[in-house]
Amino acid sequence: MGVVTLVFLVAAAMALAGSVGIIISRDPIRSVLSLVLVMIALSALFLLLSAQFIFAVQLIVYAGAVMVLFLFVIALLGPVRETVTTRLRGQVWIAVAVAAAMAFLIAALLGGNVRYVTPQKIDLSVFGSVEDIAFGLFTTYLYPFELTSLLLLVAAVGAIYLSRREQD
Amino acid sequence: MTELTAELTAGTLNIGGENLDSSWFLILAGMLFMIGALGILIRRNPLVILICIELMLNAVNLTLITFSRQLGNLEGQLFALMVMTVAAAEAVVGLGILVDIIKLREIEDIDDLSELSG
Repeated sequence: MGVVTLVFLVAAAMALAGSVGIIISRDPIRSVLSLVLVMIALSALFLLLSAQFIFAVQLIVYAGAVMVLFLFVIALLGPVRETVTTRLRGQVWIAVAVAAAMAFLIAALLGGNVRYVTPQKIDLSVFGSVEDIAFGLFTTYLYPFELTSLLLLVAAVGAIYLSRREQD
Repeated sequence: MTELTAELTAGTLNIGGENLDSSWFLILAGMLFMIGALGILIRRNPLVILICIELMLNAVNLTLITFSRQLGNLEGQLFALMVMTVAAAEAVVGLGILVDIIKLREIEDIDDLSELSG
């Protein structure tokens, strides 16, 4: 077993442990910190898949900005501990059973005989680099790229509108 | 120029001279996605539900990037970038709405926000 396989196994174990930690911890701040662990593990996997730019964006935008936003909101709202009251009897066990069945279906489908044609050669010195991403983003996919900027503008205006003070 | 000649059987990724099967990445992504969905079903705190949505979006990004690497096609990575944009916008607006609701009235958990269920 080589280094790459070892990196994959460690990162996959970190991601799975972090995601389980998100849903079993009673304290929201632990959920957020577990999600940061998942983000870091996934960024290592992105680097294995030669997505260097996405790796950097994942660390800066997700683990940096979005998670800090979640932490700010928790700090603003105070520590809210969760009560374990459910209105539907046995909801947890039904949900676990349904999720396990669905995960089995997904694993059977993705790990099974679905195979896609792999190209003979990929130039890995440029694949996924900033230059490669920028070329795709500013030529073929310029229109969707502009639409995402519009989406971010709408989200920023919406956030400012939501956080306004009431004018009495 | 490092051109890796490729993969002997379809679905095997040659990473740094070692062969990894792309289905490993895909199964991991599927498991992360279902753990996120499970969290949405069983958790009562609206903040944790938003966190679980972020987890599911990240799992989808992993599948996109795996297929992008396997097919030698950059479009998966570009689309993953757009998923990240949507996730950031969703987090900002969702958290803004949540803070507004909690400022307006006391809520214990997500079941207190069931006016729209009719």
